[in-house]
Amino acid sequence: MNGTRAGVPTLAITGWSAVSPIGTGADGFTEAVREGRGGGADVSGMFDAPLPSDRAHAIPGFRASDHLGRKGTRHLDRSTALALVATKLALEATDADVAADGRVGVVLGTTAGSVRTTSEFSRDTLVQERPYLVNPVMFPSATINCPAGRSAIWHGLRGVNATVAGGQMSGLNVLRYGAHLIAGGHSDVLLAGAVEEFSPHMAWGHRALTHGYDVPLGEGSAVFVVEDAERVRAQGRLPEAEVLASAFGSGAPEDTARTLESAVTRALRLAGVDADGVWGVATGEHGIAGIDTAEDEGVRAALGGGPVRVRVKPLVGECNSASGPFQLAALLARYRSDPGLHGRVSVLTSVSADGAAGAAVVRGRHMPGPTATTAPAGEGSP
Amino acid sequence: MRRVVVTGLGPVSNVGTGVADFGASVRAGRSGVSPITSFDASGFPHANAGEVRDFAPKELVERLDPAEWGRSSLFAAAAARLAVADAGLDPAELARAEAGSVMGTTSGESQIIERLTEEEVAGGWESLSPHLPRQVPASRLAYAVNRELGLTGEAMTLATACSAGNYAIGYAYDLVRSGAADYMVAGGADSVLRWAHAGFYRLGAVAKHVSSPFDRDRSGIITAEGGAALVLETLEGARARGARVYAEVLGYGLNCDADHMVSPHPEGIAECMRRAHANAGITPDDVDYICAHGTGTPANDLAEATAVLDVFGGNPPPISSVKSMLGHTMGASSAFGAIASLIGMRDGFLPPTTNFANHDPALGGIDPVPNEARPARVRIVQNNGFAFGGNNAITVFGKVS
Repeated sequence: MNGTRAGVPTLAITGWSAVSPIGTGADGFTEAVREGRGGGADVSGMFDAPLPSDRAHAIPGFRASDHLGRKGTRHLDRSTALALVATKLALEATDADVAADGRVGVVLGTTAGSVRTTSEFSRDTLVQERPYLVNPVMFPSATINCPAGRSAIWHGLRGVNATVAGGQMSGLNVLRYGAHLIAGGHSDVLLAGAVEEFSPHMAWGHRALTHGYDVPLGEGSAVFVVEDAERVRAQGRLPEAEVLASAFGSGAPEDTARTLESAVTRALRLAGVDADGVWGVATGEHGIAGIDTAEDEGVRAALGGGPVRVRVKPLVGECNSASGPFQLAALLARYRSDPGLHGRVSVLTSVSADGAAGAAVVRGRHMPGPTATTAPAGEGSP
Repeated sequence: MRRVVVTGLGPVSNVGTGVADFGASVRAGRSGVSPITSFDASGFPHANAGEVRDFAPKELVERLDPAEWGRSSLFAAAAARLAVADAGLDPAELARAEAGSVMGTTSGESQIIERLTEEEVAGGWESLSPHLPRQVPASRLAYAVNRELGLTGEAMTLATACSAGNYAIGYAYDLVRSGAADYMVAGGADSVLRWAHAGFYRLGAVAKHVSSPFDRDRSGIITAEGGAALVLETLEGARARGARVYAEVLGYGLNCDADHMVSPHPEGIAECMRRAHANAGITPDDVDYICAHGTGTPANDLAEATAVLDVFGGNPPPISSVKSMLGHTMGASSAFGAIASLIGMRDGFLPPTTNFANHDPALGGIDPVPNEARPARVRIVQNNGFAFGGNNAITVFGKVS
């Protein structure tokens, strides 16, 4: 179990964005969460290859050129396109000094990059007349770090550029790594988030992984602008939220509930917060008995049954590495929607099938949006 | 902040597994390059790679079931197991400590994606093996290390392509330095891939026989594989337990060219060197040896040498490339560079750049330590790593007196 301790800053979130099956931008995402509006679309026309199901929580109408213009967007793989739009919207949403040369970076989570691009590249080595007759234009996209690298090029960000292959843990990974990068003086402002694309490859793989359960596959990207909270306050700026502390542990998959319990407990202790003070917990529960049960048990053991359970996967689908970022986005959407939550503490949890578990402690500020009213969404009784 | 040192090294490579074999090979300038056997390469005009032909995961890992893990994860776990043994740490005590792993990679478990692709081509989408998708996530490289060693802390895989090993060392250093962990295993792993070999070949970046970095007639990389791991802990802890200390991690620098996805950028690389020096609290004059990224492509070596001359002036320290022997081990390569450098620091030699024939006038006065290891007293090493996406990462190590 490793938790953040002395010397690592509290992270301020000073802007965020989402490109999701339920809405685009922080406002669009917040509105959907407030209304409890889930995704789900006819995906049968998205690809030439067959899909295991005609419906998924994909974004069939997503076009990078709608947001970025047509120049330079033709040969983008879908993960990179989603990331470019999400990072663009995040940059537009923050009051951070994003023009500071070399001080602004990107840390994006993924599961295995654009699996579709990698597989199609590999396929060409089998089906083309010669095994090397691959499309060189797509070679960078077959490599896992393409979305982060291209985001830096598109936005001219010469600071730290990193890709974390964290799968379900990516949201926590990028927040924790980001805090250390800022503590070490490597960056002042980071675009931290994750991206995951829908494709036949992901859909067929997802079917094998979720055999026997009806869990729709999603896609999208959420990106948060993070900075040292102390620095933000010293500049007289007011962040939308703070990540007070986090903890990450790993163990045998059968011990996941206990690993999560200690991660939550440790993160709260590092944050100096009592379990009683937690109003809500955004979990990664996605509808598969074994792993959901472990997460539920771990959360209950650490926090009791009191906190509201914020479940975003019923809305956005299973978005793998983007799951944690969408959970965080859902928490921020709740803060935006409900003045009663102002200044109160919530928890984000993630677990992986490989035995890792972690938690982050978040304190949000109420920021009335264009259509702020209160209605619970994406949650059930804990 | 705590001082962080390297106390264990674990190379699983095509020139030797374990510190003794690997160190002897690097010192002797042995080549790990051979004709490709892991896939049918008969259709490729250039068909050499740096495969670890004798990799025997069952003999190296104790807990993992090799059938459940991809090749890169097994490289990572095997390297970690060796590094912990080299550090003289009791595995049971390590498992009880605040310990974790950070592994770097370019392509993670892409070999699994290639297998699934073969199944799809042969039998359609319905024919995919149901147990394989579980092995696809690249996060499993670090999970494999933690599971193999019973570590309960951080387990993170950084997929920043060919500089990922240095990113991993940097983050592990941060975690130990700040007190978030007491021990970290850091390094990188990758496997030889048909698609990556094809992609580099199509870019004109694969050499026909061997890689000859910094040579006038260099013609590209040799795709290669392996696992490389280092054990990081506090200087105080290492001294208290009487451990042998290879070197102190003095710091690291990261930046992004933000210029081109595949072409290296001399200005970005030079800036990364300056960042690494500033972070480590040194000046260029302090550097005794540069372990080059040195891929052997015309573009990389020119950009790297240009940046070195810019930062160090006309008379830079010796700079050699272990990729001349190992080939390009991708996400493991900068961790291998660190291991070779630290063995050289301990044993008093600079690793050579092999396959070197003619000086390239375009590279100015750089000294590539041609063909033979050179006796030298090394106090400070700069270890370069650059990558697709302009992901530059440089680590700096210093001898502890």
